[in-house]
Amino acid sequence: SSSGTHNEKRQARMELVTYIKNPDFQEWDGTKTRTQTIGPDGNDPEEGKPGPESTAVQLDQGSVIDDYTQIKPYAGMPKEVLLLHSSKARYRVPREILFWLTVACTLALVAVTATVIALSPRCLSWWQLSPVYQVYPRSFKDSDGDGVGDLKGIQEQLDHFEFLNIKSVWIGPVFRSPMKDFGYDVEDFQDIDPVFGSMQDFEKLLAEMHNLKMIMDFIPNHTSDKHRWFNLSRTRDPHYQDYYIWADCTEAAPRPNNWVSVFGNSSWTYDPVRGQCYLHQFLKEQPDLNLRNPRVRQEMIDILRFWLDKGVDGFRMGGVKYILEAAHLRDEPQVDQKKPPESISSEWDLHHDYTTSQLGLHDLLRDWRAEMDVFSREPGRYRLMVTESYDHQEVEKTMMYYGSSQVKEGDFPFNFHLLDLPQNTSGLWVQHLVHLWMQNMPQGKWPNWVVGNHDNPRISSGAGGLYVPVINMLLLTLPGTATTYYGEEIGMRTLHLTDTGSLDPAGRYNTSASRDPQRSPMQWSSSTNAGFNNKTDLSWLPVHPDYTSVNVEVQKEDEGSVLSQYSFLSALRQSELPLQRGWFCYIQADANVFSYLRELDGLDRAFLVVLNFGRESAVTDLSSVSEIPNQLTVLFSTNHLHHGRVLQKSAIHTDPGEGLVVRFSAPKRFNPTHPSQCYVSEKACYLRVVDILYRC
Amino acid sequence: RGSCFLSQRKGKYRNMIGTKTKTSKMNHQNSVGLVSGICLIVGRMIGSGIFISPKSVLLYSGGVGPCLLIWASCGVIATLGALCYAELGTMITKSGGDYSYIMEAFGPVVAYLFSWTTVIVLKPSALAILTLSLAEYAIAPFYPGCTPPVVVTKCLAAAAIMVIVSVNCYSVKLASYVQNIFTAAKLLIIIIITVAGIVLLAQGNTENFLSAFEGPAPPVGEIGLAFYYGFWAYDGWNQLNFITEELKNPFRNLPLAIIIGIPLVAVCYVMVNVAYFTVMTTSEVLLSPAVAVTFGDKVLYPVSWIVPLFVVFSTFGSANGSCFTAGRISYVSGREGHMVKILSYISRKYFTPSPAIIFNGILGIFYLMPADINSLINYFSFAQWMFYGLTSLGLIVMRFTRKDLHRPVKVPIVLPALVVLVSIYLVLAPIIDKPEVEYLYCAIFILSGLLLYYPFVHRKVKWGRTIMRPITIYLQLLMEVVPPEKSE
Repeated sequence: SSSGTHNEKRQARMELVTYIKNPDFQEWDGTKTRTQTIGPDGNDPEEGKPGPESTAVQLDQGSVIDDYTQIKPYAGMPKEVLLLHSSKARYRVPREILFWLTVACTLALVAVTATVIALSPRCLSWWQLSPVYQVYPRSFKDSDGDGVGDLKGIQEQLDHFEFLNIKSVWIGPVFRSPMKDFGYDVEDFQDIDPVFGSMQDFEKLLAEMHNLKMIMDFIPNHTSDKHRWFNLSRTRDPHYQDYYIWADCTEAAPRPNNWVSVFGNSSWTYDPVRGQCYLHQFLKEQPDLNLRNPRVRQEMIDILRFWLDKGVDGFRMGGVKYILEAAHLRDEPQVDQKKPPESISSEWDLHHDYTTSQLGLHDLLRDWRAEMDVFSREPGRYRLMVTESYDHQEVEKTMMYYGSSQVKEGDFPFNFHLLDLPQNTSGLWVQHLVHLWMQNMPQGKWPNWVVGNHDNPRISSGAGGLYVPVINMLLLTLPGTATTYYGEEIGMRTLHLTDTGSLDPAGRYNTSASRDPQRSPMQWSSSTNAGFNNKTDLSWLPVHPDYTSVNVEVQKEDEGSVLSQYSFLSALRQSELPLQRGWFCYIQADANVFSYLRELDGLDRAFLVVLNFGRESAVTDLSSVSEIPNQLTVLFSTNHLHHGRVLQKSAIHTDPGEGLVVRFSAPKRFNPTHPSQCYVSEKACYLRVVDILYRC
Repeated sequence: RGSCFLSQRKGKYRNMIGTKTKTSKMNHQNSVGLVSGICLIVGRMIGSGIFISPKSVLLYSGGVGPCLLIWASCGVIATLGALCYAELGTMITKSGGDYSYIMEAFGPVVAYLFSWTTVIVLKPSALAILTLSLAEYAIAPFYPGCTPPVVVTKCLAAAAIMVIVSVNCYSVKLASYVQNIFTAAKLLIIIIITVAGIVLLAQGNTENFLSAFEGPAPPVGEIGLAFYYGFWAYDGWNQLNFITEELKNPFRNLPLAIIIGIPLVAVCYVMVNVAYFTVMTTSEVLLSPAVAVTFGDKVLYPVSWIVPLFVVFSTFGSANGSCFTAGRISYVSGREGHMVKILSYISRKYFTPSPAIIFNGILGIFYLMPADINSLINYFSFAQWMFYGLTSLGLIVMRFTRKDLHRPVKVPIVLPALVVLVSIYLVLAPIIDKPEVEYLYCAIFILSGLLLYYPFVHRKVKWGRTIMRPITIYLQLLMEVVPPEKSE
């Protein structure tokens, strides 16, 4: 065994020599001189050592191992020297600590990731993060000079949405249509009408809108009477004969029952080809589809798929309450029993027990939602479903479209209650209308607000231009998604048509019901036709005469304009968590002022909104609200001269039509002590340390 | 397929480390055959890009036909570029790839700037970006429809870096196994997508190809940008040069591996794009945040989850590979004295270049910290092309200055000239497209390397050594690392 150790010693020594000889180690300092001093035999480690520390090494072969222990570590030391020292506690302990620290760190990082994921609240989808902008395609922008807006025109104006911080755009019907009801009478659901452009134009627009989401119209209730299906149905093609709702009648007495059309007069029309009457809840050129027919239902699904496949992000389901009618076709009860039955001609004359909101309607909507869910699987491509139904005072019927906690339906039904804003000018009235939705909305659902669309007069005419800015401020600071009808962002007014008759079929029976006034061309600039059409001076409806002062170009330059206010508030909403998903708490409402708070648990920053909808200046005293600091600085006012004004909370002054947004910092939140005044769709708390939201 | 990487990696690291066994010195020369070489090229070049963003190419090329053409032409140009590297690799058989060629052609200062930029910025930031996109893909399913909190992505990315660093420090063999498994996963998903595409084509889903070349020709500037994005997917063509010494019969196999490997990647890319277009219109591809995932949702449901999963695997593999080569570059420049020596040391126990790997990992984690690192790192991407161009220019220069060198593979001089032109374009295109002051900062940073070069490398000031010596001693003892034995 002694010879064995001797051999090991010899071997070790040999290796040492080899390593010390290796010129690579000596290169450490870049000093080649030492390697040159090594003798040719290489047996003199003393000279090979780079540092003076190693002079203790002896040449004696027998004691070479002992000598190693005296070699101090040096930079670039080889394995043998290293091994002599590296196992010492002063190196080993830190090494092991560092190793376990690394393991612990890695595990901790994974644990943190998992915890944050588990605690994160459901994130807001695209349609919750931005207002929906409604484009009425005929009136938005005309690119080819025929006087009617088109898809290329919309594409030209995409910058406008960016300026407004808008991410979702709803484009009205652009399907092939004879235009009896301006696109709501569809001849082919899977084609674009030539007046708007081609399918290529549509696909190009969709591709150009990659930063935006496109919502389209879906019109399940009826088609045009020019639709292929209708022609096949009236000739009793076996596949299509039950696509529409037919009833026996004669040409002389074309009324199987007393039902009336939304546009007035009987909803039945005799078809000489088939010798029967067909039902139309709208124009006689818009026969109602028979959605009890499984084939029709499949056609509807196919249409949805067609557009979803193209990449459309959502649908606004138009007139959903009309899609089913009672199969028994009984007369509907009259509102005024004394009225002679033959004089019944308006939709207000009847209780629509058999033509609206029929059993089975929600099953259809759920089927469509399920179809859209199939296309929503891909992350970031949620497909939105919005329903349109005017239920007037029957708000609970509207709320049905939210679906139940078990079955999902629409993401939201349009909330039309704010259309009634002009009926009264007071803070209490506004609070009443807002509360109507907030108190009836099912728990956890997402509110939304509409003050105008292509079917209703512009809010600016009813409430007067004075209130346009404060209404925009209301929409952009309330919880939920606001819908902005084109022109609302610049305060466009309702057009007064005097000379010619109404182009809108609804106005043919009753001029005051004409929807033309709210469909006048978008006012882009002060040039001819308000910049709606740069090629010719044609426009399908006249431009509102106030376009020289009310237009995008002029208002962009003006810091205090409606447009500048809109873009500021929209940007503010996008950047502030309390406005996006925080609590909404009523603070005060009186004859003039409606005031509320937006706040988020865990976040010091909160917003106070004070809106004066009244006819007089008001001084609001909020000194009873202890959570608000005494001194407040106005972040934004509809009167831009009031930006940055410092107010006492006991005396908040607002002029009529003025709205204030106050951003303040306070340690305490309002909602824990006033749960009955506060609403939130989904509770989330903010954790400042790591800048995350968590479920709480 | 699995074994071809393993043997090559083992050989490579034996060569690099040299200290492991005496026998390794004798057999490392012939460890990589032709198939292994092709595997290496394919495995390295295919990153996550083809799964995520083929849409930039489509956006600028303006149609299905031009888009596919650009993918193919990028492949041709990448092959030509790689052939230039084949000449360099067989002419200068030193390890270190570009570094050695630049050193030979332009001298140590330029080579120093190359290693300075690569070791300090390019390699660690590549690791950071790869792990970030890995984390984003892994987390995305938990946050449908919105951006995950930054803290989650960064934590997971940091954890991934730590795992990759640990694996690479622990064992060369384990790292190669990891690399093999993830490369196989990468190829598997490419095959799945390609096969699905061929099946769909056979079923007659050809409508998107019928009008492939219709529509107006895009402007020249936009075609250029399309090429710019296309080339990114081909980055890594020069990987084989790092192992020239380990190739069996390199004079035959290096050019052959390039001529087979890179067109193979090009075919993969074109086929994957064709597969995308069978089910998606151009506007859908442009709308999709991650094209492969959309493809999976449309075609592979209910197993569509495998696509994001495999993209995560693929990114992990790329990050692992990036960590692997980073060690090598630090090692070479450390050996030349262009970086601190400790970076070139080898673990005594595990025979891995752990100091270089850990250094790369620490910098990578450091780069994860700033809020928006992606944009800043993008600015540095022009440096990468600058060095490719410089290397090819070096080839031309050496044709005149080093006529004496033996060139077993000799390419026509137009090829390097072409690569130089392409590189100049790729450096300038993004700057001209969007001139921003950040590019200037990057240039200043690269040149600031000279501030360190002059005193520490050129003058070799004494106090520099005085400071480094105790640090080196301590780190050596702490990490148990020793200098490698010189293998030449």
